[in-house]
Amino acid sequence: MRSILIPRAFSGKVATGFPQKMRPLKIFAAMLLLSASVVAGPSAPVLAQAESAATPDSRIADDEFSKQLSELRKTFGDLSKKIEDSAQTIGRLDNAEAARKEIEELRSYVGALLDAVADNGTVWNLGVKALKRAEDKLKMLERETRYKPEDRQYLIDRWRELRAATEAAIGELEAARKDFAGLLRTLQTNEDFIDELLQVREHAKALEVIHKLTDGIRDASDKLKKLLTTLKTPGV
Amino acid sequence: MRSNMRLGGAALLVLPILAACSGESGVGYVEIKTISAAPALYLDTVKLEPLRNGVGVLRQKVGTTKLQVDGDSGQLALLCNIVVQKNRITTVTVSMASRQARCQCGRNSPAETATNRTCVA
Repeated sequence: MRSILIPRAFSGKVATGFPQKMRPLKIFAAMLLLSASVVAGPSAPVLAQAESAATPDSRIADDEFSKQLSELRKTFGDLSKKIEDSAQTIGRLDNAEAARKEIEELRSYVGALLDAVADNGTVWNLGVKALKRAEDKLKMLERETRYKPEDRQYLIDRWRELRAATEAAIGELEAARKDFAGLLRTLQTNEDFIDELLQVREHAKALEVIHKLTDGIRDASDKLKKLLTTLKTPGV
Repeated sequence: MRSNMRLGGAALLVLPILAACSGESGVGYVEIKTISAAPALYLDTVKLEPLRNGVGVLRQKVGTTKLQVDGDSGQLALLCNIVVQKNRITTVTVSMASRQARCQCGRNSPAETATNRTCVA
């Protein structure tokens, strides 16, 4: 999902209009300049200004992506512990209703995991932005003529490394999303089945399903632990 | 003094309403799979980015949302309704059949009609 970004130079100024103390002559001059730039289209300095204004935002996105990934690892670590505890509790419970409640709670943990890596989630969007920045930088450097060839090559190599690291992080998030979505589906399907069994008062069968489910949950917990060791933050 | 009491009274009235609203808020997830080249998709009126590898998982507010595509008349055409439930995932597959997009539910709503396909979690 794409959000509409308003360039910083314009934000907050369009609606306010001219300061009240501005003299009519100055307003007229400003209007002339404005209409001239609209008729002539953006000149090179205007473009350069726009580019330099966009750079800090892109850098913020890169830094934010790395920061968010670090925070994500911490959150995943905490949730991994909770999921493991939940699996143990569910495995021990001999009351089907209580186990069903536990599964419901477990769904909220898995939901939190999925939330973090969803396509319209913050981390994912920052990752896509960071990747686009690396790609744009590489394109720009390939056209760059100011630097010595070896200096230019050095920068290109560094940006290629960053792009590869960002792609790897995005790939890990994509794989995690698939796993979490699968786990959430498993949990809700089992929960629905347990519900049906409880409606026909088949408590023993419900408990059997619940105990079998713990294997699936433990498997997800192992995958989460593996993700925590492989997910690296691309440093910029 | 009296105005403070009025404010306090108003707060007492408003707080339970806010609490009730926040109690109902929640998010669920929509998993969209596309088979072959699917057209641009919309969740209600929000256009979705092209899905990487044909699969996307989107966070959505709890409630019923519409999966739509660009229609012939320039207006959005409804593919199916998606019921989003708290901490649950609703799966839909979009495929193309004779140049027309179709929505297949992972699980259909028992209450759906022939003209109104509804996917549930």
